[in-house]
Amino acid sequence: MDRSKKESTMARFKKEFTKGLIISNPVFVLVLGLCPTLAVSTSIDNALGMTLAVLIVLLGSNIIISAIGRFVPNITRIPIFIVIIATLVTVVNLLFHANLPDTYESLGIFLPLVVVNCIILGRAEAFASKNSVVYSIADALGITVGFMLALLMLSFIRQVLGTGSLTAFGIHCFTLPVLGEHPISIFILPAGAFLVIGLLMALFKRTGVIKND
Amino acid sequence: MTNLVAIFLGMALINNFILVRFLGLCPFFGVSKKTNSAVSMGVAVTLVMTISSLATWLIRHYILIPYDAEYMDIVIYILVIATLVQIVELFIKKTNLELYNAFGIYLPLITTNCAVLGITLINATQGYSLSGSIVAALGGGVGFTLVLLMMSGIREKLELADTPKSMKGLPIAFITAMLLSLAFIGFGGMI
Amino acid sequence: MKDKSGFKKAWPIILLTIVVVISVSGLRYIDSITRSKIEAQQEQKIESMLSGMFPKMTQYDYDAEDDIYTIKTDGKKIGYAFIATGQGYGGDIDILVGLEDETTIKSISIISQKETPGLGTRITESPFIDNFNGLKINDAQLSRDDGKVDAITGSTISSRAVVDAVRTTALEKVKLLNSQKEGS
Repeated sequence: MDRSKKESTMARFKKEFTKGLIISNPVFVLVLGLCPTLAVSTSIDNALGMTLAVLIVLLGSNIIISAIGRFVPNITRIPIFIVIIATLVTVVNLLFHANLPDTYESLGIFLPLVVVNCIILGRAEAFASKNSVVYSIADALGITVGFMLALLMLSFIRQVLGTGSLTAFGIHCFTLPVLGEHPISIFILPAGAFLVIGLLMALFKRTGVIKND
Repeated sequence: MTNLVAIFLGMALINNFILVRFLGLCPFFGVSKKTNSAVSMGVAVTLVMTISSLATWLIRHYILIPYDAEYMDIVIYILVIATLVQIVELFIKKTNLELYNAFGIYLPLITTNCAVLGITLINATQGYSLSGSIVAALGGGVGFTLVLLMMSGIREKLELADTPKSMKGLPIAFITAMLLSLAFIGFGGMI
Repeated sequence: MKDKSGFKKAWPIILLTIVVVISVSGLRYIDSITRSKIEAQQEQKIESMLSGMFPKMTQYDYDAEDDIYTIKTDGKKIGYAFIATGQGYGGDIDILVGLEDETTIKSISIISQKETPGLGTRITESPFIDNFNGLKINDAQLSRDDGKVDAITGSTISSRAVVDAVRTTALEKVKLLNSQKEGS
């Protein structure tokens, strides 16, 4: 009895985790948090920095909100959620400023803007406030990994085509033969972000990775 | 004065909120299917952005900086914005029901619109004066409305166009946004 | 019964207050442990940039009023440095400018910028930055504006922001330095 319950918990944990990767990928399927996705996908470094920030905030807010969600009356639900999220974001902001100054600089206002990232409030409302702490952790991890996959895809394409080379964490990985001299700068410009996400989304629809609406 | 004009143009066109800074994309793709709702949304966002800029500037310069509590800014700003949105919504509901029906329904969505928190943070990091902050907010709002309006016009026509099946909906909207964004680069040479 | 409903009404407010109090005290604590680290980091960044610019530097004085660093080797003045801020394409560009004397720039380096990666960010790199080595302050203009600095192709706004900030701030600081000399 106890054992089968434990197994089903594991199975459910796995299910909540994997759904965030593709089936309800926050960027390509739920289309949440577009602003940071497009803005910070200019380099792999920025993408990973943003992922780290989202991971800490989403994990924290999902844990806290799933733990206290029951005691929060409906009328103050949103204000309380917002205060919790804003506090976590400020903590991340200060920690990044102190320990990862370069990432802090290049993320700019998109680090504090994690507060209004629809992914976080969306998960708090739609999932964490109704589910247990354990599943909320699974949900947070899954959504973050899904977010990271999308960000890495976008930033890899944009950085490689837009600068002609790939540098991550100060390590130079490779330079493309012709593009290294003449990079296609449009990919690194804001316009490039719209182009790449539009084409990727169409590609995923065409190949059936994500369902049509 | 020329400084204020430069801030306005910079915010509205050169560093357009949607196309260059990527702020306020959720309503951009959500609401920009119809021209009417695009204008209403744009006006609502501009209104909230301007009032929030005024309020957060006062709070920043008379409370946060004197008490050395600038690290609290994110929490304070988001609470101020949420409260202001509620007040504006109530005010419009009580005074002008027609106006409320036109764009009041978009107001609750604005709390989590990054354009609003974005402008308060931009004002703070750029160190704008009170008038500068308000002009920046107005410029940002006008630019936001302008692009929303352009996009909705294009998307109304796109509905009738023969787009490939997998490009229908969001993908083609992204490609359209890319073309608009490219066009807006041209404003870069203005100042 | 009456009390209970009163509590029920007040509960949301009490809860919100509790959450805000916890949040504020938590942030105070985090701020207190990160603040010194953030300040130390900025100071260290400037010091390492100054010593990169003036390899012979043994000490430096900072004049907070005029915002000028005076660079010294064994007590002898060898130059000045200050921070100039320009309005770039993506926001403020902070530039550390080193002066050899009151008319000549020693070199510059970009402290922080938010320009377009791959285009505007080239203001931080060698061919553009080298333009400023040993340049007369008055020549710090783009070549197309009769100066001696070549703009980066495709990033005229970023280039001009740097050049203008360097020239105008340098002229200001030189004025301050001269008035200091007259005063003493």
